[in-house]
Amino acid sequence: MARTQDAVAESGSTATGYGWQQRLRRFWKSDFLRSSPYWAIPLAIMGLAVYGGIIWNFLISLTDYEGFLQPPDYSQLDFGMYVQALGDPAVFSTGKNTFVLLLAFTTVSLVLGLFLAILLDRDIRQKSKVQTIYLLPMALSFVVTAQFWLWIYNFNNGIANRVIGVFGLGPISWLGDQTIVLWAIIFALMWQFSGYAMVVYLAGLRAIPDEHYEAAKVDGASTVKMYWRVIIPQLKGATISAAVVLMVFGMKAFDFLYSLVGGYRPPNGADILATKMVREAYANLNWAYGAAIAIVLFAMALGVIGPYLVYEYRRNNL
Amino acid sequence: MCMTADNGTGSDSVSRRTVIGTAAGLATVGLAGCGGGDTTTEAPADTPDENGGGSDETTETTETTETGPTPNDTALEVLHAWTGGDGAAAIEELTSMFKEEYPDLATNFRPIGGTGNATLDSVVARRLANRNPPAAWQAWPGQNITQYGGLLANITDIWEENGYVDSMNSMAAEQCQLNGEYRSMPIGSHRMNNLFYNVHVFEEAGVDPDSVDSPSALLDAFETIGEETDADPMTHAMSSTWPTLQLVFQNFLGLEGGYDAYMNFIEGDVDQEHLTEALEITAEMLQNHINSDASTISFTEGNQQMMEGNAGSIQQGNWAYGMYRAEDSGVEYQTDWDWMAYPGTEDMYMLHIDAFTFARDTETPVKQKTWAEFVGTADAQVAFGNLKGCIPLRTDIDTSRLTDFLALNAEHLANKEKFPPTIAHGLALPPEQMDAAMTAIGNNFMGPYDVEAAASALTDAVSQ
Repeated sequence: MARTQDAVAESGSTATGYGWQQRLRRFWKSDFLRSSPYWAIPLAIMGLAVYGGIIWNFLISLTDYEGFLQPPDYSQLDFGMYVQALGDPAVFSTGKNTFVLLLAFTTVSLVLGLFLAILLDRDIRQKSKVQTIYLLPMALSFVVTAQFWLWIYNFNNGIANRVIGVFGLGPISWLGDQTIVLWAIIFALMWQFSGYAMVVYLAGLRAIPDEHYEAAKVDGASTVKMYWRVIIPQLKGATISAAVVLMVFGMKAFDFLYSLVGGYRPPNGADILATKMVREAYANLNWAYGAAIAIVLFAMALGVIGPYLVYEYRRNNL
Repeated sequence: MCMTADNGTGSDSVSRRTVIGTAAGLATVGLAGCGGGDTTTEAPADTPDENGGGSDETTETTETTETGPTPNDTALEVLHAWTGGDGAAAIEELTSMFKEEYPDLATNFRPIGGTGNATLDSVVARRLANRNPPAAWQAWPGQNITQYGGLLANITDIWEENGYVDSMNSMAAEQCQLNGEYRSMPIGSHRMNNLFYNVHVFEEAGVDPDSVDSPSALLDAFETIGEETDADPMTHAMSSTWPTLQLVFQNFLGLEGGYDAYMNFIEGDVDQEHLTEALEITAEMLQNHINSDASTISFTEGNQQMMEGNAGSIQQGNWAYGMYRAEDSGVEYQTDWDWMAYPGTEDMYMLHIDAFTFARDTETPVKQKTWAEFVGTADAQVAFGNLKGCIPLRTDIDTSRLTDFLALNAEHLANKEKFPPTIAHGLALPPEQMDAAMTAIGNNFMGPYDVEAAASALTDAVSQ
């Protein structure tokens, strides 16, 4: 009411001095400003800490900043650090390892989580206790899990070699052999996170009505076929959201590797971009180069999350 | 839409919610503005352009923010990495001695955990980059402090006034200098060229320790031990790369002409044949004569195996001694465990130094100098050394104040002439080259032992 009156009065008044006061009044009362205490504070904090940090990092990666005898020179920005990163064989091998880790860790966790969820969904006894047990490893800190996987993978008296010794397979140097160390680490990470995938899939399975199962049975589908053809395709949404979260966890594998060796240099064959970045920045004091590697890692993360966000946006879920 | 009906107050007056909200918004903006202030990106006016230009330094030393020699109220901040075991006990003793002697000085000794000083170095790097340095921090001197350059305080006056120039070991004094000026004060040294061995294992195998006088003799001894006993001839930790880097250069030094070749190597002049031979001997040791779970253990676990008789020997810096003399260790010097200089290096004391380094732009210059002077005194060094298991750098102390094993090494430190500085612990190579050397070993010499690739990578590392 008041607004239309204002509008009429504004169009009728000849003095422009009144015009801006009216606009200011309107702005003052608008939803935008009145809700600002609720969105402005988080936006300011996020803007400063997260986006501001990312933008500053990008700026540093364009300079040649290294050591700390001179401050970064912002007047000469170039992509020299990125050229150097692309030409560095270490960046390639660590990038490859990061990629393999992400893909393998996510896929194996999803598969194992799905398998566990299907089992649990068929109503076994003590279902909630079993569920909790599978989910508990997620609550453990990487520092703890790294130490006891070190013990498990011990060549002489670790459980891993004892177990495969039962089957007559020779003892394997899990962390010493550089062709399998990455897979040993993926296995350790998967142990910790397949519980999460299981929980997501359980929720997804519960959303599928019982009639689908019955209809499939009536049509004569075997159990395997029923799951493969009828149930699993309906879990696409759950798969995608679990996959995104797991990939983000995979990129945090830095914590695990750091705790495994107590330093920034993982076992040969398990070096990932995150550890390389920290070494370059803090051991070699090549800040700009480390920042460039950080942006590369950031781009990889965007490449993972971006399509998911677009997908959800198209489905109007955002 | 629904907002206009909410307040009940007229549309003319400003609602309480709006006031609070605006105040909060302004507060956040204000905080954001203030927060960006201290991480300055402009250089302070007196930062030299290159690594510590000497002439720039001398003008700064007398500039203080305090009038005369009275210390202010700001606490002296000292960062160190001794968070556990012997180191923690030693630094505790050192700091309480300091507080007893200077009860009026406010101090803040902060430990920062993490192996190999890596985390401590990161924290110091960050604070130096933000131009907010601690007054003093623990750092390996030598090439390690070249990275700090002009940001370090010049403490030549402390060295000269207290006669440390003469009373400290000469090589240590050299390592504590940068561009001709003293920048660090050493607190203790660990000897690197050690072979600690289990007496019983050697006796059982019939190996006479005195006959082991070169790396090849050591290899023969290992073979004998492997045949005659159940123990692993040597225990070695391969979960990190630095013990292997250490071992390679022990063999390098132990070979004929090792000292000269080594001193040339760290300058970039590499004797390829010598390096290749050292790598080959090391490869032979690691492939055939060490414990099979090396890749998952750290040196403390390996040392424990040696103490228990499951391994014949261990090559490590003499911080390993700390485990032997613990009260419940179960091993006695010369009865159960003994020490020999690494075969071939009997006339050398391979130097590793722990020292304190000082920032130039500090708020507590007077307390900083007091701490520097204190660290160099004989009492401080003996007290610290006895608890940490390291050897004081002063050459004029009465060695009977130290334990037997330390006294033996202190005599060597005072009397020998060859002091090769360690590579794996920062003295011989600047950080970037040291990292390249670690990468050279890490990529080529940790699983399959590729001698040629490791040799060429190490050559590249020191030729940077």
